[in-house]
Amino acid sequence: MTYFFQIVVSGIVVGSIYALAALGLVLVYKSSRVANFAHGQIIAAGAFITFFLTVDLGVPIFFSFLASMAITFFLAMSVERIFLRRLIGEPIISVIMVTIGLASIIDGLIYLTPFGTENFSFPPFLPDTPLTLAGVSISWTQLVGVIITFILIGGFSWFFKKSTVGISMRAVSDDQFGSMSVGISVPRVFGLAWATAGLSAAAAGCIIGNITGLNFDTLHAFGIVVFPVVILGGLDSILGAVVAGIIMGLIQQFAAGYLDGNWGLNGTGDVAPYVILLIILLFKPHGLFGIHEIERV
Amino acid sequence: MSQNQWLATGNFFTSYKEEQHTFFTHLDRTIFTLFLVLLFAWPLVFEVGNKYMFVVNNVLIAIVAVMGLNLVTGFAGLISIGHAAFVGIGAYTVASFCRTLGTAHVLVTHFWPLVIILAGLVGAGFGALVGLPAFRLKHLYLAIATLSFQMIFQWVINFMTFFNQGQTISIGRVFWFTGKVGRRDHYFFWYYVILVVVVLMGFGIRNLLKTKYGRALVAVRDNDRAADAMGMHPGLTKVYAFALAGFFAGVAGALHAYVYRGVGFESFTLHESIGYLAMAIVGGLGTLNGSFWGPVAIKFLDLQVEQLSESAAQYLPAGMNLATALKPFTFGLVIVLFLMFEPRGIANWWRIVKSYTKLWPFRY
Repeated sequence: MTYFFQIVVSGIVVGSIYALAALGLVLVYKSSRVANFAHGQIIAAGAFITFFLTVDLGVPIFFSFLASMAITFFLAMSVERIFLRRLIGEPIISVIMVTIGLASIIDGLIYLTPFGTENFSFPPFLPDTPLTLAGVSISWTQLVGVIITFILIGGFSWFFKKSTVGISMRAVSDDQFGSMSVGISVPRVFGLAWATAGLSAAAAGCIIGNITGLNFDTLHAFGIVVFPVVILGGLDSILGAVVAGIIMGLIQQFAAGYLDGNWGLNGTGDVAPYVILLIILLFKPHGLFGIHEIERV
Repeated sequence: MSQNQWLATGNFFTSYKEEQHTFFTHLDRTIFTLFLVLLFAWPLVFEVGNKYMFVVNNVLIAIVAVMGLNLVTGFAGLISIGHAAFVGIGAYTVASFCRTLGTAHVLVTHFWPLVIILAGLVGAGFGALVGLPAFRLKHLYLAIATLSFQMIFQWVINFMTFFNQGQTISIGRVFWFTGKVGRRDHYFFWYYVILVVVVLMGFGIRNLLKTKYGRALVAVRDNDRAADAMGMHPGLTKVYAFALAGFFAGVAGALHAYVYRGVGFESFTLHESIGYLAMAIVGGLGTLNGSFWGPVAIKFLDLQVEQLSESAAQYLPAGMNLATALKPFTFGLVIVLFLMFEPRGIANWWRIVKSYTKLWPFRY
């Protein structure tokens, strides 16, 4: 039973990171209908910027965390400005492929830096001994990571529900022409959506980097794994992203914990989200919380 | 047909049947025949080393695969991020024959055309299976469905002992009328086989697009609700587009297996899928000749970047691996630049050149 609860705990840890990573994707998709395949690269960039600031420049980790969020904020905004603004109105395949090409470009740029191929880990700043309760243990970094994740998700939800900018972003996602006619600058909202996505990506990158260590391959792999999560939750629902993130984390940990090693199966944790996704697509095409658009001829 | 049988000066069609000719003028047909003869004859005239023939074969296999991808993405408008997996299905069909029957079994070595077609059919089957969500879905959701198929494929190959867990499975040498195809003329022989396949499949697509099945694909891409109203079944058409693409990919995979004389996991990763998509886009989505330009351009670029980084490595500190950095960078840059400045791909340049020569000395 301890094993079961241990898996539940680690599932929630992994899931909340998925939720945070998925949040950025949903933000961009919700406002501008762009599926961002370069999200994993932005996550990696955020994590490496934090690492560079703390280790190489000696900035305290809290400040470098904020600084890297600020940098990715402007990075993602300029990506939108340079590459995606001129693609408004182009077919969806062009937009998707531009983000894939962008991912490739950022890959190349990161491989040029020393961060491309090696493993790094953040200097420890929290107690080393794990927290144990009835045999179930959780490390301090995981605990703090989950808490920060939920604070950030709460903050983003508040931002969308209450603030003027958030409301205008929701308006744009609902009806672009309508929001244009009431005086919302749609391109500016697109830029802001990308910027907030970059912000959340940097946060996700730092938290993952603290929990699992920094490795470019595992970090940018998040950009792909996040897709089953957002599809499960429904592409345009923030609540969906959070719920689906935690569900996916649990599924992955349970698959890895109970299936691996039995019946000659290995690495089931990596493939389980995709299998679940295909089944979900067959039976509930628009995810758990996605909006089913009614089409009439 | 115009009065002049050699030069088209305008549109003189008087019936739908005339519009369906493959070649509109004698000049078209002559040039095409000459080009084809050239393609078949050049390896006989020039002595080409195995190394270069291998590259050429690679490009031709990519052309077969990209033709399939162009059907599903360019003509039917469904993004497939799992095309390399379908190619892999074809390759692993051949590999599984080799594994169960042995590399020297008569089916693999003598009846290889049959095996190639079979691999195509298996690919088509999986294509239809993956396309099943298309009955109710479109756009991004469908793209992610193919993405998850890619991931599941990679996992299956990596994990099953039957597929050697992604390690190379060797494929036997084939026989031809002249006997066993040896090491020296291996690539030479396969060049002709793949060329024949490319020509047949090119004509296949060209003619498919003139039938109602081909036009249904384009109609569904342009507006699937309208296509529905006109009596087509969008879901069924999409599944059928996926199956067709799967067939092309399966054939490409079988050819890949035979040419490389082995099947390994690295040739069918997500990265390769994205490579195929890039080829289709650079060549020009939704055009037949785009599927020829794209692979040529991307593979050529790859070679050049490799050479460039090799020559630049002499001047750089040893720790820096320029090739790993430069390859994704140029690849991404090419995709992004093409999409931003020439979304219709190289096929559009070809169209411009053609119309210029046709109308010369007038501008239009």
